[in-house]
Amino acid sequence: MPPQTAGASAATPRYETQLLPNSTAQSVHSATAAEISGGRLVAFWYGGSREGASDVAIYTSVYSLKEGTWSPERAAMTRELAQRHLQRYIRKLGNPVVGRDSKGRLCLYFVSVSVGGWAGSAVNLMVSEDEGETWSPPRRLVASPFFNISTLVKGVPLVFSDGAAGLPAYHELLGKFGELLRLDSEGHVIGKMRLSWGQSSLQPVIVPRSDKEAVGFMRYSGDPPNRIVMVRTGDGGVHWSPPARTELPNPNSAIGSVLLSGGPLLLAFNNAAENREDLSLALSTDFGNTWRIARRFEGGSGSPQAPVPEYSYPWIMQDRAGDVHVLYTWGRSRIKHVRFNRAWLEGRP
Amino acid sequence: MISASAILGPLGCGLLGLAAVASVIRLRRLPVRARYAVMLVAALAAFVPIGGLSIAAYVRGVTGDLSAATLVLAGAACFTQLTGRTLTGHRDKQALCWLLALAAAFLYPFALGWTRFDPYALGFGSVEFVTALLLITVAAWVTRLNLIVLVVVVAALAFLAGAYESRNLWDYLIDPLVSVYALVRLLAPRIIFRQPTNRSP
Repeated sequence: MPPQTAGASAATPRYETQLLPNSTAQSVHSATAAEISGGRLVAFWYGGSREGASDVAIYTSVYSLKEGTWSPERAAMTRELAQRHLQRYIRKLGNPVVGRDSKGRLCLYFVSVSVGGWAGSAVNLMVSEDEGETWSPPRRLVASPFFNISTLVKGVPLVFSDGAAGLPAYHELLGKFGELLRLDSEGHVIGKMRLSWGQSSLQPVIVPRSDKEAVGFMRYSGDPPNRIVMVRTGDGGVHWSPPARTELPNPNSAIGSVLLSGGPLLLAFNNAAENREDLSLALSTDFGNTWRIARRFEGGSGSPQAPVPEYSYPWIMQDRAGDVHVLYTWGRSRIKHVRFNRAWLEGRP
Repeated sequence: MISASAILGPLGCGLLGLAAVASVIRLRRLPVRARYAVMLVAALAAFVPIGGLSIAAYVRGVTGDLSAATLVLAGAACFTQLTGRTLTGHRDKQALCWLLALAAAFLYPFALGWTRFDPYALGFGSVEFVTALLLITVAAWVTRLNLIVLVVVVAALAFLAGAYESRNLWDYLIDPLVSVYALVRLLAPRIIFRQPTNRSP
């Protein structure tokens, strides 16, 4: 589908949307993306006949920032390939997330399950030294003493000031809580910090503002009122504030967040307490203390509705030129890409 | 290049499978040649790939890599069933089971995320954790509880060598399987002895 454009220069509002290629999968979910050399983005998501099916694979596609087009998708990892490399039975694949380590290498983390549902998940890591052209065999990350199950990922990886990689993770076995894993340069988990505890917060997204200061947001799955959960650190992630509910609603759904160049904090979220039919952007100029709804790009009368009106799992990032990109699950059948600039974001909703 | 864990992980799971087979069929009741034949067949069944994966790899998919406690006990069980000789004394084994049960009670409930405290994180090189383990090991050595000393030494060496994918000392010391084994071994006699009798008062 060609991009639907509503502006093109940095000075004027720019807003483009398009669906990512999908030639085979009936169901797709959980997109992630990173900027790579040559003025491109690389995206990953999982897709197959249905969520949790054995034919689910991790797909990838490359986007040209100049041309505004996505390449045909191809499988980056299949269940069979993961099984062969990890030397253990793999039943299904799940959420991928992509980021860079301190050496600048692309790191693709993805969830796999050997037994049971998503509570039986473990996380695996592949590394690319050539901007995603080729990948190392996957290696298993060990982050739980229960047969190493119940660890999943959704949030953007980050880099600690000492060079260690940081991977926001969460657990779903009996409890639901978030953690921040520390990984060495070889991709081994060498430490972790608990972001929350109990049974009601998951899928942490961490946004650093400096070496010491960061804010984290989590999906909320507890009793009403359904609100996005927030944590803070002021010492580089050693200690975190107790989880607190924000004023923003959350229908038990994932959140995306990015600190824009120049300071404002941007949040992509379902602006409803009960369903995922609305996808909006909220801006904060005081690093998460107060918010204003900046834009709504799904759920309004202006956007074409998906066959299943569910818009979820937003992944948000800003490219080097300043444009913001949001990738999210569109009706469970496609991944949608929204590209916009600050002029559009700060214009009238 | 194949990593150490890609070899040692399935090997450990295969060893556990052999110990389970040998114990269930009570191998030592068979003639000596039959014992070795059964173990050979079981080993082939465990490690020969079927459809790209061995049974050991399927087991590994469920259990992950097994701790030193599991491997030492599984190795001892294999030895006993093959040779008819016992490597570990009752007192030694009971002490190890008590230690495993206490460690499991400390580790697992908190690892479920019930509180902010996470004892599993101590396994990533906490000085307090290593000191406590050293003291326990010295105490076990002084009181001649050699099985505990062996388990800790094997776990520490494997941890230092980076034998598994994990960099957490807990994963080399204990796993849920051996924790359940320890609890059953400690609790089963008590439950059996407490069954009500049919005798009239």
